Amino acid sequence: MASHYSAEYKQIIDSLPGQSLGWLKALRADAFNSFSGKGFPSLREEDWRYTNVAAIEKKLFSPQLGIGTNNIDKEWLANYSLQDAYTAVLVNGRISLEHSTLEGLPDNVCVLGMADALEKQPELVKKYLAQAVSNNEHSFVAFNLAWFSDGLFVHIPSRQIVDKPIQLIHLVTQADLLTTTRNILVVDEMAEASIIETYVGVNDAYLSATVSEVFVGRNAELTLYKVQNEGEKAYHFGGTYIKQERDSRFNHHNFAFGSLLTRNDIHTDLDIASECNLNGLFLGAKRQHIDNHTRIIHSQPHAISRELYKGILNQRARGVFQGRVIVTEDAQKTDSEMNNNNLLLSNDAEVDTKPQLEIYADDVKCGHGVTVGQLDEKSIFYMQSRCVDEETARNILTFAFANEMVDKVMIESLREKLLEQLLERFPQAGVEKSWL
Amino acid sequence: MSSSTEEIEQLISQEYKQGFVTELETETFPPGLDEEVIAKLSKIKNEPDFMLEYRLKAFRHWQTMKNPDWAQLNVEPIDYQAISYYSAPKRKEDGPQSLDEVDPELLETYKKLGIPLDEQERLAGVAVDAVFDSVSVATTFKGKLKDVGVIFCPISEALQEHPELVKQYLGTVVPETDNFFAALNAAVFTDGSFVYIPKGVRCPMELSTYFRINAANTGQFERTLIIADEGSHVSYLEGCTAPMRDENQLHAAVVELIVMDNAEIKYSTVQNWYPGDENGVGGIYNFVTKRAECRGHNSKVSWTQVETGSAITWKYPSCVLLGDNSVGEFYSVALTNNYQQADTGTKMIHIGKNTSSTIISKGISAGKAQNTYRGLVKVGKGAENARNFTQCDSLLVGDKCGAHTFPYVEVKQPSAQIEHEATTSKISEDQLFFCQQRGISAEDAVSMIVNGFCKEVFKELPMEFAVEAQALLGISLEGSSVG
Amino acid sequence: MLSIKNLHVSVGEKPILKGVNLEINSSEVHAIMGPNGAGKSTLAHVLSGKAGYTVTQGSVTFKGQDLLDLSPEIRAREGVFLAFQYPVEIPGVSNIYLLKAALNSIRKHKGLEEVDAMDFLTLVKDKIKLLQMDEKFLYRAVNEGFSGGEKKRNEILQAAILEPALCVLDETDSGLDIDALKIVADGVNSLRAPDRSFLMITHYQRLLDYIKPDFVHVLADGQIVKSGGPELALELEAKGYQWIEEKAA
Repeated sequence: MASHYSAEYKQIIDSLPGQSLGWLKALRADAFNSFSGKGFPSLREEDWRYTNVAAIEKKLFSPQLGIGTNNIDKEWLANYSLQDAYTAVLVNGRISLEHSTLEGLPDNVCVLGMADALEKQPELVKKYLAQAVSNNEHSFVAFNLAWFSDGLFVHIPSRQIVDKPIQLIHLVTQADLLTTTRNILVVDEMAEASIIETYVGVNDAYLSATVSEVFVGRNAELTLYKVQNEGEKAYHFGGTYIKQERDSRFNHHNFAFGSLLTRNDIHTDLDIASECNLNGLFLGAKRQHIDNHTRIIHSQPHAISRELYKGILNQRARGVFQGRVIVTEDAQKTDSEMNNNNLLLSNDAEVDTKPQLEIYADDVKCGHGVTVGQLDEKSIFYMQSRCVDEETARNILTFAFANEMVDKVMIESLREKLLEQLLERFPQAGVEKSWL
Repeated sequence: MSSSTEEIEQLISQEYKQGFVTELETETFPPGLDEEVIAKLSKIKNEPDFMLEYRLKAFRHWQTMKNPDWAQLNVEPIDYQAISYYSAPKRKEDGPQSLDEVDPELLETYKKLGIPLDEQERLAGVAVDAVFDSVSVATTFKGKLKDVGVIFCPISEALQEHPELVKQYLGTVVPETDNFFAALNAAVFTDGSFVYIPKGVRCPMELSTYFRINAANTGQFERTLIIADEGSHVSYLEGCTAPMRDENQLHAAVVELIVMDNAEIKYSTVQNWYPGDENGVGGIYNFVTKRAECRGHNSKVSWTQVETGSAITWKYPSCVLLGDNSVGEFYSVALTNNYQQADTGTKMIHIGKNTSSTIISKGISAGKAQNTYRGLVKVGKGAENARNFTQCDSLLVGDKCGAHTFPYVEVKQPSAQIEHEATTSKISEDQLFFCQQRGISAEDAVSMIVNGFCKEVFKELPMEFAVEAQALLGISLEGSSVG
Repeated sequence: MLSIKNLHVSVGEKPILKGVNLEINSSEVHAIMGPNGAGKSTLAHVLSGKAGYTVTQGSVTFKGQDLLDLSPEIRAREGVFLAFQYPVEIPGVSNIYLLKAALNSIRKHKGLEEVDAMDFLTLVKDKIKLLQMDEKFLYRAVNEGFSGGEKKRNEILQAAILEPALCVLDETDSGLDIDALKIVADGVNSLRAPDRSFLMITHYQRLLDYIKPDFVHVLADGQIVKSGGPELALELEAKGYQWIEEKAA
């Protein structure tokens, strides 16, 4: 289906970074053709059967051309930025050094806007851009490559252990905007880092399309957090595509709280004896729709994957979990476990879950589990026998169900912020922060 | 020395023992399919007018449809014009025959398959309808069943004797537009069984249909319709075999079950169509639509299947739980070996209140086979207190096979409780050595492990079938006294 | 009862055992000790017929017949019992079913009648008390979800029921806390009989405090480098394996 975004492309192409680079021009042209041929995904595609994106074609979200004068409420930004982190801020799809705090970052660690990186280190960017994901994945990926206006480029060299987390904040301050960002995160051999991607925006409709390509080198470790607090009328399409080398560890914590419509794609490919932990918590209320799509490919032996996604859906919200684990012929001794647990809190909420195992090797240990709607009856009874009424007991257990995911966060200041959000969303639990 | 992977694979392989051909004079349509063929088929069966209309409607719709391609299967394109849509042993006259008029060659065939049809040797307590290619050749115990009001006959006979019943129910569970193979079946089905259990009757014996494909280049399109009226109960079994041939043959059946208030149908299948040889040549394409509607309160349907045959199996026996407190169950063992492919599972559609469903699926994959579980659990808005428990386990034997699990869970009701678990494991050399070290041979060890893996399903089968199923898997019955 | 002569064993191209000699008579308890990688478990595996080992030289006779010629289950039926270092889990197969199948295949092999379910149950319940195990274990799948200690106890229970002539205990004490070790040792001691001998393979001297061996052998780099009485174990405990390795070198 033709997209009217394609028609507008001519008007924005000159404002895109890297136009002087032939290789990038060619990549973008390819991506544009790939997108224009197909348009955005339809419900007929198996990976999109539960998520209808037609709404973003009903109006035209346009990018902000050039660097506008963006007034930013500093207090608002402070709500989301962490004090004990290096912070890079993108405003309406372009980097704003004014709001970033990168002082003290080790000299050999590179945190740059993507446009800057294309100017200063084009060869390094070329080495990674479009290497962790291909345009064939789905048309949002192609769209992103053709349209991206900026993004963040993070490179952590071999053996570097970054002392503080690096926070990348994507901020949208205006209605009806399209922000398209492409991020590249590279953690080289034996390096270690924690990176937080935070998405925040105004309470108006806008479209945020982002792709992060992640490269974790040999024996390196990256813990990546994604905190999605987009405005409640926003559309958020985010893809995180990871390439893991031998003996590497990748931990992901994916919190989807905001936006009207969210789609997350998290795909990783595991080399020998590498390990990934994918955690996710999605909270839906009102008419929110949240679709998490994960794919773990065990293409080499001895790798370990663990996945736990939890969803709580209230009012008319709909949650989707699609998890795929693929174990290829060579991936003997694979150890994989995937779980998805969901709670529905209202008569109009819905959850659709589709955990999948595709196994082509034989000496493997794989399992998955799904539950919908089970709070532990024994715990409820126990609390009742200690004088707590059933409703309160259920509220407390619902809060605890979500808090289990927040508890896994290793950065204290981030955990605090997430906990505050949970307390706001589950006031009925009557839980005091100081108790936790 | 103890067993290597190859030896483990050999232990699970068995010769196909039902692969012989019966030489008979037959009446067979030339290959090809158009409205004329359908009219001829309807005429040969002397069907009432509504049937021809029904068939043509289905055929016209089928022509607008495409072969489904979403399953985890590699299917060679099928030339539907190269198949003959009718083949029957020649008979002296038309109409149902009594047993002593049946061609002795046919009786011999069924005897060889372990299904004696003649008076003296009949299986006690089991009534059998024997379907040979496109027609039913014999039905036993019809008289005894009639005494209690149970109708058990070929569907072609039901169209003559009880057209109003067939018209009332046919296609109401699986509409002729449902899917590609169901539409094709509606257009060309030739025979199958019809069962009606009247109100309050508990069917005094097991009913069973034995399907045999014999002729070459034909497809078998059977249709089974079972109605359990209020408060009734029936247990129905089906078995299937075919000769060994190098060409693939198509079997596209439709089974509809209708269950009223407080009624129960237990439907068991042991599917042993010819699976093709060890190089993947030949074998039956088994594309089947089976669906039950629990229309009444407290109604119950239980599907149990042991799938060991067919080159390709595409089959999802489903339950639509309309009535309050209705129950759906699905127990399945699917064994694939060599180049066999199976994409099978179930759908549990919860619509009524307090409905519950159980899914136990066991897939065993050996050789170069691919075995896929595909299932849907859907809880509608009004299905308060719906419950589902799903357990699907895969066992891998050897290192060139695949096992895949694709469950879909869709829930729109907060009081629903859904639980799904899946595991994949292998028969390991370590396990076999351990058993051998305790004095148990590798053969017995594999048999014990496979039986242990499948026992939750086997215990759902009626006794005669449990024995047959275990024989098919080459495993012995676990000692019931201590097990 | 068991006679090992100049036994050489390789895994692939790599020689592991390089000329082991050992004589075990009825009722004797032998302990083989040695550092990691000396070939202790290889010896246990070769005696019980596990695949993956090639005997390149030497012989093993058991009760006068060539043991190496027999399949693993025949060796087991003849009375060679291996208590595994890592007992495997067999999901779906209950403990009691495995025991009954094993016992009856041994009885059949000896030309005895199979035991019926009632007699069998009486026998098992008798033995299970000895190992201080809960009867519930009988109906659970073999070793599935058992703790390390429970698995090891289960091994000894099987030995108690199958009544072998030669018990090979491979690192039976690893993974056991001291209380569990005492129970296992009591179980083993109760199995001692004039027509039964034991070969205990262990890295730690601790086990020998509870099961007194008649002979102690030290295996290092594929050969028995020193043999003696129980006092040798104590010497090893005091001086460590380095002492032996240095001497051997």
